[in-house]
Amino acid sequence: MHSILAVDDSASMRQMVAFTLKGAGYHVIEAADGQEAYEKAKGTHVDLVLTDQNMPGMDGITLVKSLRALPSYGRTPILILTTESSDEMKAKGRAAGATGWLVKPFDPSKLLEVIGKVIS
Amino acid sequence: MTTTFARDARLPVAAAEHAVAREFAAIAADLERLKLLIGEAGDTLAASFAVIGEAVPRLAVDAHVGHAVAAAVTALQFQDMATQLTQHAQKRLAVLQDALKALSDEDTDPLLATTRMQPVRQAGMGAGSIDLF
Repeated sequence: MHSILAVDDSASMRQMVAFTLKGAGYHVIEAADGQEAYEKAKGTHVDLVLTDQNMPGMDGITLVKSLRALPSYGRTPILILTTESSDEMKAKGRAAGATGWLVKPFDPSKLLEVIGKVIS
Repeated sequence: MTTTFARDARLPVAAAEHAVAREFAAIAADLERLKLLIGEAGDTLAASFAVIGEAVPRLAVDAHVGHAVAAAVTALQFQDMATQLTQHAQKRLAVLQDALKALSDEDTDPLLATTRMQPVRQAGMGAGSIDLF
């Protein structure tokens, strides 16, 4: 079973993401901000990280940079799921090493399709 | 209909500033109330969804139920987006309030510049775009 680290400061967003991913058979680990996600990612390897961008403390792009600096997360898919949709922010995400940029709100079937594509 | 602000705009500058400050305070209070209402409604819906969600695996054998649940998952993300929008509006309002207080010149406040970056541009709750790099 693949494990996914879902990062969002919104409890309702984490609930929707976890509901969608668990329903598709993924093991979901949740974190409420970038720092918590970084600590959890270091403690156990996950197969994919799905993170929000705007969070208190460490934001999504900083989390991507921090994880990419860890040898074990050099090739792990990291998707940013955010309300931000500007090309400028997407370019920053790409430069940081994100695998993809998804704009909220997500459609469950499309999210699962993208995850299935990048996790394999 | 003449608004309070329109009537007050004819008053001397000091009185007009006071009127604008009063309007700002009213908007700020409305935004805070809106944020609380959204939070309360979102939490209630999320709690209800959690209960329903446990039954979904049994119900989702029906395609209609599956589609309805998927649509609910997308729609229930409104709380996060609405909260971010109201927080952004509150920040912009605070900047305007500070600017009014300072009655500053044309120097651009760096905070004003950052608040121009709109965090939510979506006007509806249809699913957002996907870019794979």
